[in-house]
Amino acid sequence: MKAGVLGALAIVLVAAAVYPVVATGYGLRATLQVFMWIALAGSWNIISGLTGYVSFGHVAFFGVGAYTGAILVATHGWPWLPAALAGGVAATVLALLIGYPCLRLKGPYFAIAMLGLNEVLRALASYFEGLTGGGNGLSLPTLDASLPIYYVTGLLALAVTGTTYLIVTSRFGLRLMTIREDEVAAEAMGIDTFRHKLYAFLLSAVAPGIAGALMARDQGYIEPISVFPLATTITMIVMVLFGGKGTVWGPVLGAVVLFVAQEMVWARYPYLHPALFGTIIVVVVLAMPRGVLGLLQIKYRLPRTV
Amino acid sequence: MAGASLDIQDLHKSFGGVAAVNGVSLRLEPGRIYGLIGPNGSGKTTLFNCITGVERPDAGRVVLDGERIDGLKPYQIALKGVGRTFQVIRVFPELTALENLLVVTRGDRAAAAARAEELLRFVKLERLKDEFAGNLSYGQQKLVEFVRMLMRDPRLVLLDEPAAGVNRTLLNDLLDAVRRLRDQGKTVLLVEHDMKVVMGLCEHVFVLDHGEKIAEGAPGVIQADERVIEAYFGR
Repeated sequence: MKAGVLGALAIVLVAAAVYPVVATGYGLRATLQVFMWIALAGSWNIISGLTGYVSFGHVAFFGVGAYTGAILVATHGWPWLPAALAGGVAATVLALLIGYPCLRLKGPYFAIAMLGLNEVLRALASYFEGLTGGGNGLSLPTLDASLPIYYVTGLLALAVTGTTYLIVTSRFGLRLMTIREDEVAAEAMGIDTFRHKLYAFLLSAVAPGIAGALMARDQGYIEPISVFPLATTITMIVMVLFGGKGTVWGPVLGAVVLFVAQEMVWARYPYLHPALFGTIIVVVVLAMPRGVLGLLQIKYRLPRTV
Repeated sequence: MAGASLDIQDLHKSFGGVAAVNGVSLRLEPGRIYGLIGPNGSGKTTLFNCITGVERPDAGRVVLDGERIDGLKPYQIALKGVGRTFQVIRVFPELTALENLLVVTRGDRAAAAARAEELLRFVKLERLKDEFAGNLSYGQQKLVEFVRMLMRDPRLVLLDEPAAGVNRTLLNDLLDAVRRLRDQGKTVLLVEHDMKVVMGLCEHVFVLDHGEKIAEGAPGVIQADERVIEAYFGR
């Protein structure tokens, strides 16, 4: 069983690595997008799926990473890779500043605070024109780095999924889950829940920050609306709910399936696309609140790492 | 670990205009089982919550082995050696029984698992160790919660209605387990409505009514105390 899984994983990784040789331009871009969604959904899963603190503003980290990376590249002439890492650092610092007060809030209050954070950041990005170009956006110097960005984003998706695996199989991960399960009992057991929540939150901010900077470089232009859209947070959430929150492979499954579905609907019925997501949310919540993998885990008594 | 003494001095806690705990003082010595009784709303659970840091007392002190613990966070108090169970069960439902016990362990995983399994065996749940705690029966969950608390080897054990909802056989096992904790020298304080349990298990009983301690003493003495009878049955 385990060897089979590892074998399948190796095949997928090799296929993804050699894919650019045969890929069409569209195929490469679409796969890059899938990698990005895996990284984003997987990150959201760490704080919200495992720890149970639902973040409605996770795209804030993506946006801050995008602006950090774009400003470093466009204004300070940084190469894109260190700029992307700086995007991850910026997002983590933001998570620290925001997490410190907000993680003391419980349940819906945290979710709303995160929603507000994203709106504030978008407004700030529009306001500080000198730094961000304001509503006019920020253009990066022309550069075709789509192939290396493809690989780096792929590694990012792999890193997020690998990190999730390590967390889920560790007792640190169990402690995160106790917060989701019953925070009062977790405290009574001597678990410093605040510190654990903060660690999970920081871990969940790194990859979105890096991904934001990578997307800024790849697209060559960003504006407040394009990097702080609520829709991106919603998409992360739907992907994780669909695949299975709190699982290792749920975000991956959700990202792949929903991205493909989205592309198919986009192309044919552009106006139907938001309706599709709305329908998926309703169906998942009503019919299988644990998501596809969550359902399989319960039914076939599979370990959490599936 | 051996037991700890607990000294509660003139503790006050109000919610709005209601004085839930109103100037309670009590002292627990190591290696004994204490009972805390009183009618509903007399302040028992609030007192528990003040000891464990879930509520911050308005005034007064909670002293564990000579060290003030009031004002500390719940997890800090737990780390000082105070373990508790809850009136309403609080297991981690989507963790297995074994994982419920493993959450607080660090270091050698095999040794931790061995200790957790030993505790599950102690309450005859080893067969169900890989079952989600939420799928166990009420009584079984209660036992999981009980042994989970023991994983930290607490010096002071607070049990909020350990007998409620547990069948007789299971209850006797549980009461034996509590006596064994006492024999190890631990200090035990339990809230319980089942007077048979209180009278059979506790060596010393505190009675609360309307947030105040109205009596304390050996179970036999308490049963005959007029103020206690009045608090329970009215004048």
